[in-house]
Amino acid sequence: MSDILTKLQGLSMEVTQKNERLYKLMVDAHDIMSTLLKLLNEYDYITLDSINCRDDLEEGYFTITYCLLKKTRDHVLMVQTSINRENASLPTLHKIWPQAEILERELHEFFGIDFPGHPTLIDFALEGWNQLPPLRRDFDTLEFVNSLDPFRGQRDDNLDVKVEMKKRREEKKAQKLKEAQEAAKNEEVPSHES
Amino acid sequence: MEIGFHGHEFDKAERNTQTLIEKTINWFRSKSIFVVAYGTGCGAIEMPPTFTSRYDAERGGVVGVATPRQADVIIVSGYLAYKTLRRVIRTYEQMQSPKYVIGLGSCAINGGMYWDSYNTIKKLDDYIPVDMLVNGCMPRPEALLEGFAKLQERIRNGEQGGWEKYEKNLEFYKKNQKKVLGENIDPSYEADWYMLKQGATL
Ligand code: SF4
Repeated sequence: MSDILTKLQGLSMEVTQKNERLYKLMVDAHDIMSTLLKLLNEYDYITLDSINCRDDLEEGYFTITYCLLKKTRDHVLMVQTSINRENASLPTLHKIWPQAEILERELHEFFGIDFPGHPTLIDFALEGWNQLPPLRRDFDTLEFVNSLDPFRGQRDDNLDVKVEMKKRREEKKAQKLKEAQEAAKNEEVPSHES
Repeated sequence: MEIGFHGHEFDKAERNTQTLIEKTINWFRSKSIFVVAYGTGCGAIEMPPTFTSRYDAERGGVVGVATPRQADVIIVSGYLAYKTLRRVIRTYEQMQSPKYVIGLGSCAINGGMYWDSYNTIKKLDDYIPVDMLVNGCMPRPEALLEGFAKLQERIRNGEQGGWEKYEKNLEFYKKNQKKVLGENIDPSYEADWYMLKQGATL
């Protein structure tokens, strides 16, 4: 068992090694803040790399993953937790890791997760979005897209591309053949005269 | 009323009715095309080689400029998010006539591989009048140059440009723009943004 795993065992939580550089820690949703703080202060996980969200629609929860790094950058620790899809809400980390502000803003926009106390939960990549958050799986993207912006129909000149290309190729072939024949004729003519 | 990128068939009669002076002016115009350097999608990566020494669009009279007010052509280089569409419309409206739009890549034609994205438009010519569509994903600089050559030919022939269609069918375009961007397509949101900034919440 590696050193890292042994050390993390001290947290008395379920830790697993996914591969040689990746460790996973499962946490209860209401312990998330205390665990992250502990990892920062006692275990030197000083960098928050990303916050990811997976929508487990069938089970009815979001799986949130915090990726933490040490100064040595030799392995990644994923801290994973599940929260209820309805009225999803998480504590904000922007005071601990400033980069969390933008990461949380993204989660708020694409999954509708609330972060009480977050200073800037405003538009991020979308503008004036008033539908379900677009990356939730119960948001019907196809229907939304088709209602807003119908697909372009056939070509405006009603021509079939395949047929047209074939026609064009045949025309070119005939043209070449004709040119070759003419060239052959021209060559023949002077030879007759001489 | 003919809308879309049919421009080619739009006004063939005009070809023969150009006076000599119009012909001369059009010839000069076709040889000095200024392109606003604003890339919207990944197709924009083909624009630097087009305008620099490798393909050198300048030998055909096509040069890039920094601001829309000095430009004749805007290239919509690929997918267009609703957010970018707002900026493109603003940029287009700032340009001075005669002005042209080139749609580069299959994303500009029918959404390309982003056709079912919640955030990109599919038919560029519903929102701004497109003069030339260059297909491919992404089109090579040669294709773009050919597009320019065709555009120059049309300018020389005195054919109707997209900007005339835009003015004539403004209602149609504004209706489509409002459909995806909401009622407020004036850039008042910028002011809101700055106010937010002053409140030190950003
Ligand atoms: S057509 Fe292809 S290269 Fe161009 S923007 Fe779309 S995906 Fe990118």
